[in-house]
Amino acid sequence: MLRKYTEKFLKMDRRLIFALLTILMFIPLIKPLGLPNKAVGVSCQQVYDFIENLKPGGFILISLDYDPSTRPELHPQAKAVIRHAFRKDLRVAVMTFLPGSTGLIEEIFATVPKEYNKKEEIDYVVLPYQAGFVAVMTQLGSDMYSIYDKDKNGNPTKKMPVMKGITNYDDMSAVMCITGTALLDQWVLYAGDKFHVPMLGGVTAVSQPGYGPYLQKGQLKGLIGGMKGAADYEGLIGKLGKGTTGIDVLNLGHLLVLFLIITSNIILFFMKRF
Amino acid sequence: MKLIKRTIPLAMVFIIGITMFLSYYIPHEASQTHYVERMNEWYNIIVAFAFLLGLLSLFFTHYGKIKKKVDGWGYSIFVFIGFLAMVIPAFVSGGDLMIGANLTVLGWAYKSIFNTLQATMFSVLAFYIVSTAFRSFRIKSPQAFILFVAAALLILGKVPVGDLIWTTLLGWTGIEISGIVEWIMSVPAVAARRGILIGVSIGAIIISMKIIFGIERQYMGRD
Repeated sequence: MLRKYTEKFLKMDRRLIFALLTILMFIPLIKPLGLPNKAVGVSCQQVYDFIENLKPGGFILISLDYDPSTRPELHPQAKAVIRHAFRKDLRVAVMTFLPGSTGLIEEIFATVPKEYNKKEEIDYVVLPYQAGFVAVMTQLGSDMYSIYDKDKNGNPTKKMPVMKGITNYDDMSAVMCITGTALLDQWVLYAGDKFHVPMLGGVTAVSQPGYGPYLQKGQLKGLIGGMKGAADYEGLIGKLGKGTTGIDVLNLGHLLVLFLIITSNIILFFMKRF
Repeated sequence: MKLIKRTIPLAMVFIIGITMFLSYYIPHEASQTHYVERMNEWYNIIVAFAFLLGLLSLFFTHYGKIKKKVDGWGYSIFVFIGFLAMVIPAFVSGGDLMIGANLTVLGWAYKSIFNTLQATMFSVLAFYIVSTAFRSFRIKSPQAFILFVAAALLILGKVPVGDLIWTTLLGWTGIEISGIVEWIMSVPAVAARRGILIGVSIGAIIISMKIIFGIERQYMGRD
């Protein structure tokens, strides 16, 4: 009898699992669990400390290379880092190698600068989409205006107050790449290692373990990983957002995965023996 | 014909490859600034042509499928629908996604079509991962057990509820799950990744050398 039920459980219709996951993901959206996110990741803390220690007026170049497919993890990271930079009165330039991310960048800059009373061309600039990352990354090492002579609105960048004194990597306080692709590796190789500009990163949780070697050798000064990293950073800057609400959804989703793996393996273990 | 189809392309690859390689090691402005800048300009022009070529190739391939009515030809229609659904709004709104605080037609298409479709495609993965984990993750060997333990610790360590469960059940040990996760990420994971990186890099160097010296010629096609 028990054997019949356990066999039935193992052959569960996958649509039932889909339904269960949907319900579990909806619960925290309707009623947040609100569990405290106590342990901040070491590499995430390093990003925060690095930006926190920059002097006001410093220049940070942020490459936002993600599109809607990785938006839930990376968009909150980008927003949190830009908020932090604005709070520290840093000058911000944003660029992208992905045509699909232009809309997400517009979305950030339609709201976030207003929170800190920051003005386009004075405090920040949004550079247009560029293809051919190798050429762009190496060109930024000599004269960035030969590639980015205009911003996304078509206005000349060279005379903008935000670009004052900026010609190449030597004049930048840091470069940060937030991406769901392998572009962070390329940034480390073509910009960080070659031109010795401090590199920071933000990646999806699934890619995070791959950047350990760069962190250990100091090729990356810090790394924000996945939604947990976004939630950590939001906590550090004291402005909670979708990273924090998203981690609530992950709470139950992760537990479901663990529960299903453990249960199915326990059942199989006993079925083999009895 | 051999000169145009083989000798000249091979010579171009050899000269550009060697000069780009050497420019990295010659600390002179002519090498590290002027030459690299000129090459970057050429690179961007080639990328622009590659885009156009890719687009034309995509259109011809799918047009051929529709014309011959091959299996699944209906899907090819969506290539054109998707292309037009983004390109027409882009022309109408002059490439602007927003004017002030308002979305343009392109902004609407981005938010309501591109954004929604991509988010849907990716979020479906979550359902398949959970279902596959349940059906396929079988602990049949010591290696699979180690993999499971590492995965379980990482899963728990990445969410506050995992921390809560760990503290409730194993808090008496004095070991924090965040410490274990950090160790896994910075010792075994880094060791494995570093090995992979070294292997991949050596492979990339060898392939590059073979291309530069004309030993590897598959990129030139059959001729």
